[in-house]
Amino acid sequence: MKTNWYSDSDPARAVERKPGAAAAAPLVELRDVSLRFVSYTDKQYSLKRAAIDLLLRREGPPPSTDFWALRDINFSIAKGERVGIVGTNGAGKSTLLRMLARIYPPTSGTVTVRGNVAPLIEMGAGFNPELSGNDNILLNGAMLGIPRKEMLAKVKGIYDFTGLAEFADLPLKYYSSGMYMRLAFAIATEVDPDVLLIDEALGAGDAAFIDKAKARIRGLLDRSHVVVIVSHDLAALREMCNRGIWIKKGRMVADGPIDEVIDAYLAETAPAKAG
Amino acid sequence: MAVVRQDRTELARFLPVVQNMVIQELRVRYQRSVLGFFWTLLHPILMMSILAMVFSQLFKTAVKDYAIFLFAGMVPWNFLAASLNDCAFCIIQNEGLIRKIYLPKLVFPLAKVLTNLTTFLLSLGALFIMLKPLGAPISWSLLFLPVAIALFALFALGLGMIVAVANTFFRDCGHLVSVFLQAWYFATPIVYEMSMMPEEVRWRFSLNPAFPFIRMFQVILRDGQFPQLTTVLVAAGIAAASLGIGYAAFKSHEDKLVFRL
Repeated sequence: MKTNWYSDSDPARAVERKPGAAAAAPLVELRDVSLRFVSYTDKQYSLKRAAIDLLLRREGPPPSTDFWALRDINFSIAKGERVGIVGTNGAGKSTLLRMLARIYPPTSGTVTVRGNVAPLIEMGAGFNPELSGNDNILLNGAMLGIPRKEMLAKVKGIYDFTGLAEFADLPLKYYSSGMYMRLAFAIATEVDPDVLLIDEALGAGDAAFIDKAKARIRGLLDRSHVVVIVSHDLAALREMCNRGIWIKKGRMVADGPIDEVIDAYLAETAPAKAG
Repeated sequence: MAVVRQDRTELARFLPVVQNMVIQELRVRYQRSVLGFFWTLLHPILMMSILAMVFSQLFKTAVKDYAIFLFAGMVPWNFLAASLNDCAFCIIQNEGLIRKIYLPKLVFPLAKVLTNLTTFLLSLGALFIMLKPLGAPISWSLLFLPVAIALFALFALGLGMIVAVANTFFRDCGHLVSVFLQAWYFATPIVYEMSMMPEEVRWRFSLNPAFPFIRMFQVILRDGQFPQLTTVLVAAGIAAASLGIGYAAFKSHEDKLVFRL
């Protein structure tokens, strides 16, 4: 499967590829990608507001501000690469991840993602608290685009990993946040995604589970899929990733081996500690 | 065309999600009420009984089999009105989902229309139960009912896609939709019959896109006849136009919806 998005400003910049080349092509490819957020500070701007502005002889420009959350991002990720994305708060890391998950279409440029994507961006996205754990596994699978039959075959594996089999028929609203998280993580990693996106997922859960989770991500990598992780836990990134991307104010500052990128990032953000 | 094909495969993939949304919404609607799902049948019967009593007093015997006539127009209309009111808020309502996970946005209006279609079908079932004692004709024309329902559902889906997009961009639309539906309701011969109107204003009904659909239901259910071919063709044309315009409007704004939540 191949997915392309085009911004409304330049819809014609399609990157066509021959099917035969797909095997060698990188799984994730971003070309000149920019994303502009327009925040409608005054959503009420309408006929009424326009009339008042006219009456009071105010200048009435649409009161919206925009900023570029991402600017000219270019990179591609090949099979087997584990990419850690670092950057300060608000740099655009999570936005970038959401773009890879197709939640945000780019304002300009093209995003190409081949294969199925499992986003672990917000825990339990698409979970229905009224449904039982079992039903939620099937529902979540459906939302990830996995046929019911295939998903049914994976249910056992998910319970083996989470140890939640005894709660299979309990509605999700009675789960603890840790159980919730474990289930979400297990589903996203059990479905064998080609591209796994993780946003700060490793912070929650008890210590034993974090170790299990790390082992599971390594297992995924051994099956040569792509993993993109956004985290502030630099030690974990060093351990799990082999490539780093540093985002600063929506622009890529560095892209290279994880240790080099993190060292450079640390040198700038915490010079005292690094020196 | 490539877009349509891509949408079709995507929707086929996400059909279980639609299915789940429909079942969940129906389940939540009747959760913890004693009669539960039975309300889908009971509610329209009670509502229409009141209307039949009130209006049959107002209009006396001006309309043949007034109660049946009223039901035949009212049940489909309720489906349209509920679908559009739901569709207007379907994107906003699912903000949490849309911002967290990728789903083809068409899933949302589709689920709303299908939910209401289910209750519509059940209400029609209730209607049948009532039709017999009221002396309605049970004839072969009922076989045409599925066609009428299908055309009407497509019409509703097309309009639903339009209001879903419009209301997400301009939140005022949601309020206008219900007002507009009320006006439209009275502009359509549902509580009165077209023949009760003066001859010189009747042409106006041909401008009402909902009229041929409602007319089909009335002819089938009250008169026990097959609707005229022209009515069916006009209805099919309007359904196709609604679907086409709705789809185009939805697709051209689909990408921007997430930024407007």
